This record gives sequence, C-alpha cells and structure tokens, in this order.
Amino acid sequence: MNIRTLIVSSAALALSAGASGCRSKGDAVPPPAAATAATPEVEQKLTLGASLSLTGSLAREGGLTREGYELCAKIVNDKGGVSVGGKSLKLDIQYQDDTSKPDTAAQLVDQFNDKGVKLILGPYGSATTEAAAAVIERNGQVMADSAGADDKIFQKNYKRTFAVLSPATQYVASMVQAIADLAQPKPKTIAFISADDGFSKTATAGGVKRAQELGFKVVAEEYVPNATSDVSSALTKIKPKKPDVIIGSAHVVESIAIVRQSVELGVKPLAFAETIAPHTPDFVKTLGPASEGVLGSTQWTTKTAGSDKWFGTASDYAATFSRQFDGRTPAYQNAQATAGCLALVLAVEKAGSLEPDKVRDELAKLDEATFFGPLKFNPAGQNVAKSMSVVQIQDGRAVGVWPKDSAEAPLRWPGASPGKG
Amino acid sequence: MSQFIQATLYGLLQGCMFGLVAVGFSLVWGVMHVVNLAHGAFVLLGAYLAWQLNAAFGLDPFLGMVPAGLALFAFGYLLQRGLINLVVNAPIFITLLLTFGLELLLVNGLILGFTADYRSIPTTYAGKSMVLPGDVRIPFGRLFAAMLAVSVTLGLFYVIRRTRVGLAILATGMDRGAARLMGIGARHTYALTFAIAAALAGAAGAAVGAVSTFSPADAGRFTLFSFVAAVLGGLGNTSGALFGGLLLGVVEAWGGQLLPGTWINAMAFGVLVVVLAVRPQGLAGKAFYASRVEV
Repeated sequence: MNIRTLIVSSAALALSAGASGCRSKGDAVPPPAAATAATPEVEQKLTLGASLSLTGSLAREGGLTREGYELCAKIVNDKGGVSVGGKSLKLDIQYQDDTSKPDTAAQLVDQFNDKGVKLILGPYGSATTEAAAAVIERNGQVMADSAGADDKIFQKNYKRTFAVLSPATQYVASMVQAIADLAQPKPKTIAFISADDGFSKTATAGGVKRAQELGFKVVAEEYVPNATSDVSSALTKIKPKKPDVIIGSAHVVESIAIVRQSVELGVKPLAFAETIAPHTPDFVKTLGPASEGVLGSTQWTTKTAGSDKWFGTASDYAATFSRQFDGRTPAYQNAQATAGCLALVLAVEKAGSLEPDKVRDELAKLDEATFFGPLKFNPAGQNVAKSMSVVQIQDGRAVGVWPKDSAEAPLRWPGASPGKG
Repeated sequence: MSQFIQATLYGLLQGCMFGLVAVGFSLVWGVMHVVNLAHGAFVLLGAYLAWQLNAAFGLDPFLGMVPAGLALFAFGYLLQRGLINLVVNAPIFITLLLTFGLELLLVNGLILGFTADYRSIPTTYAGKSMVLPGDVRIPFGRLFAAMLAVSVTLGLFYVIRRTRVGLAILATGMDRGAARLMGIGARHTYALTFAIAAALAGAAGAAVGAVSTFSPADAGRFTLFSFVAAVLGGLGNTSGALFGGLLLGVVEAWGGQLLPGTWINAMAFGVLVVVLAVRPQGLAGKAFYASRVEV
C-alpha cells in the first residue's frame, strides 16, 4: 500500500502544482460555490453535505447509507419540502466520496464549509465520523451522525455532532443480553472475535463486560486485522476451547469470514452472533444455508415502535423503501441514514432557520418519536433514548427476536449450527 | 499439537492462494520490468466473470475460470499492445502511474457495474473439509485452489523453459536488444507476457471467488499480496511467486498462533524486510535480470 500512497501523493502534488500554475497565468477561475449562494434558486434549497464511503473498504455500507439519505430527500421533497420561516425548501443533498478514509472525510467536510454548506450528514463508520466531527466542531458546522457509534467520538466534549444511533457499547451487549434472556438451555461459555478498529473494540469491551455481569464464562477474546477476509488464526486458537457461542464484533467481510471459515475448520458452537453483518443482504447471499440461525444486533427493525409525519411507522418506512428500491427490504444502515437526515430536517423546521447555531440548539433539545424510535440526545450528543434490537437469520431472512415486545418470532436455539454443513 | 498442524496446513493452503494470485504479477515484473498495480483489479475481473457465469449458467467456478482466463488473456493482450506498450520504456514511475490509473478505472467500473456488494461463488463442496486425525481439516475449495497454484507454476515453468514462445519471453526479459537482433518481436512478446499474466490473474480470481468473499475494494489487497509474494519469492523465476506465497501464508499462520492476531500483517512485512536484507534476490530468484541491458 505504501507504493500506492506514494504514487497518489505524488500525483496529487503534480496535479495541484499544475492547477496552481494555470491560475497564476490568469486563466478564468470558476467562482466558488459560496459566491453563488445568494442567487434565488439556491436560496430555495436546504443544502446538506454528505461525505460518504462510496469506494474503498466501506463502499458497501456507504452505499446503503447513501440510499437512506436519498430516500429521505425524495420523501421530504415529495411531501412539499421543509418549511422554514414560511417558505418550503427542497432538500438537496450533495454527495462526495471519502474513499473510506478518515482524513479524506475530514477534508471533504472542510470543503463543504468553504462552499457554505454548514449542515452535514455523517459519513459511514466511526473512524470517518470521528475525523469529520473534529472539523465540524472547528468550523461551527452541525453534523447528524447516522453511522458513527464509537463512544470515543462522544467523549471529547463536542457540541455539534449528534448521533441518531445507539452507542457502540450496546452492539455486542444487546446480543449477550438476548442470549441470556432467551436461550434455553442457557449457554455457559462465549468466545469473542473482534476487528481491531475503534468501533469494534469498544463494542467488544461492552459485550465482555455484560457477559461477565450475566455470569457467562469468557473463554477467548481474539482480535483480527480490520477488513481481513482470513480469520483462520483466531478460529484455530478458539477451536480447542469449544465455546458455546462465538460472538463477532466486526464489519461485513470479517463477519462472513468467521462463519465461513468456522465451517471449513470444523468449529461448531451452538450459535454465532455478529454485530452488523446479519442485517445486510450480502450476509445471507454469500453464506447461504451457513447463515441460518446467526444472531445480529441492529439499530432498527420493521417492528421498532414510534412514528413521524414524514415516514410513518417503521413498517411504513419499509414499504416506502421497498417501492423505491426494487422491492428490497431496508437494512438498518438504510434506516439509520434516513433517521440522521430526518433529525436535521426536524431541527431545521423547529429552528425556522438554516443558521447552524440555531439548528444545533434545536437538535440538542430534540425529543421526537420517529419511525427509527425516539430521537433524543444526551449532552454528549448520543441517542440513549432508543434501545437496540437483536435479529436472527431464520429461513434466509433477518427477523427480530429481542426485545420481546417488538419481536417478530421466537429465538431458535441452538441456532442451526453451520458446522453441520 | 493438532492446533499447530491445523494452522500450518491452513497457512500452506492460504499461501498457495497468494502464490496463485501473485504468479502473473511476478511474470510481468520479471520480464517487462512493469509493476502492474492493476493486477488486483484483473484478479477481480476474473472473479466477477466467473461469478457471472455461475449466476447465468450455473457454471462451477473451477470450470468458469477457463472462459474467465481466456477473456482476460484477450483483454491483457490488447491492453498491453494499445496502452502499456506506449510507456514500457519510460521510467518505472510512469508505468506505476499508468497502471495505478488503470486500477482506479477498473475498480470504479466494477463498482458501477456490479455495485460494492460482497459476493462469493456458491459451490456445494468448497466449504466442506477432509477430516484428518486430530480433527485437522483441509477444506476442499482451498485444496483445489492450492493444486491449481502448483499446476499453474509447473505449467508456466514448462512453457517458459521448453517452448519457443516461452524462450522468446525469457530472452526478451533478459536482454531486449539481443532478443530483437535474434528476430524476436518484442512488442508481440510483451503483449503475450501481459496476456498470460492477465489470464492467470483471471483464473486466480475465479478460485478466490469460490473459497472466499470479494468486492471491488479488494483490488488493492490482492496487488499488495502479489507484490509481497513476488518480492519474497524473487523475480525472474516462475516458481518465485509460489514460494513467496507459501512463506507469506505460513508466516501469517504461525504469527497468528504465537502473537496477538492484529500482528499478523506486521509479521508478514517483517519477514519481507528480513528476506530483502539477507537475500535481496528473493528465495528462488536469480540475479540475472539485474544485469540486463535496456536498449
């Protein structure tokens, strides 16, 4: 990768040198976008900036986030736009690709600021969000964070980043709790496999703590490189310990590898649980029958309680999404992105202004029921009002099994062991 | 003990996979002195072609690798004749830039065409394993890929050392000027080399698709592994990539057992540094390319 980095930076240097050379010769320089902001057409829009992972290692999840934002813009505009100070403004979201890199995400947020775009929709993932949040704070922008859950982001006294999703510590802890509440006979031992990025490690720490509190024996805590598709070393180490449950705190690609390579290596726990992957369509598609019975934690299911004027209830949202995207069921990453956009829309409406400070104050005060559950932020900017749900892959579909009051089906236990394949 | 044997065996299988992915990269570098940063994207092109053939006709990926390889062969030949050949005599920095640009183009093309979804090519056997004493397992998919890697290496050795085309490739790699004087068409030979490399990348891609998950974002990872395996094994020897891959696989496997899992990459690159310091020509490399004459 070093060679690539070298080349990219050299190329960038060469290009920027070339570009500045052109300007110094007095060529016409296009006016910055901010200068056009005063024209009436632009004034009629509510412009939001979104730096997203459209390429790079998080392109898949970034794509889901973009769909969520697009759906938000479509529904809001179809319903007449956002009413601000007596005028209806159309929602206009500008997308930029951060190539899944935190430093690029931060630069893009800075560029939005240069263009006068103060209201920002968050990137996908904790690392990019953390980098963007620092710039947001410095520039006096406001960010609705839809996919950066790492608690670390919210321990820096930032006042301008608001996360609609539950914090990272809940991702694994909720699955441990669900297993303790629902699994019969109750398993005794748990092994954790975690990717080594900040979000996954924070989630694992939360899960290990909850497991110990609930009386489970934690037999292994293995870390694997972020975005790896080979977790065989961790599994080989775990195999002799014969854990009842293997919990993976990782992204889609590592999570698929955990189940797939367990089958290859004959690692046969009673069940697998993985944080974010089971809810993505790719999980079932790539693993096929091996995905049966795998538990996953999710920010949202179609049974999540609450409704709002834009999207209705969670099941209304699912129907709208399905109409928009070829009959697909929304992944929770879609829903949380829409919820992030919704939070900004609600705050702008309440503020009656696009002034970032006013929007920020309204976000801080926000207490709304929505299709995504309650949107209410603590002083750090985290949404602690909403709880996470746990899903299980049953007959090729992720169905909610916990908490009980919003469950779609009872937990199947033991989860169909992929080791049988 | 069985844990150690399991890790070693799996590491060897994984190493063969690295070797399979790297062999084309090593060939192009050795013969043409071009570090093809688009190699990982070629691997992915093969994977997506095999995936498409499987989705449309239910073709097994280990059979689908033949049409995928042929398509990549044609693509590689044309690409070299039409584009890479324009800069093949330029400083290495230019060829790096060109192939890097090509990689960006291909990867983003794949994202446009296939989206960034993670995919794999379903088979009934790839996930199943042969069970040895001590519950040591050898997954069939990886075993087939490993056998393929060994056959490809042997086949390439035969072609390069025993056929007229191969000898022409070898001669052009050693001394282009002298090869030309002997009546070898350098342009055609280069294009053929590049085409063979692309075809092998395509076949490797199909194998990767059968045993693992892929998405366009993996291109950089494949190029990086190829780079390390090629350098470890040594350029200018057809078996270099396989030896390099095997070393990489075993080091990762042992490193993963003895150290915390996140150190795996550090271990792999640490070994690269040591090998380069102690044996700069690589494990199987010969130094003859170092003294070649550029005309």
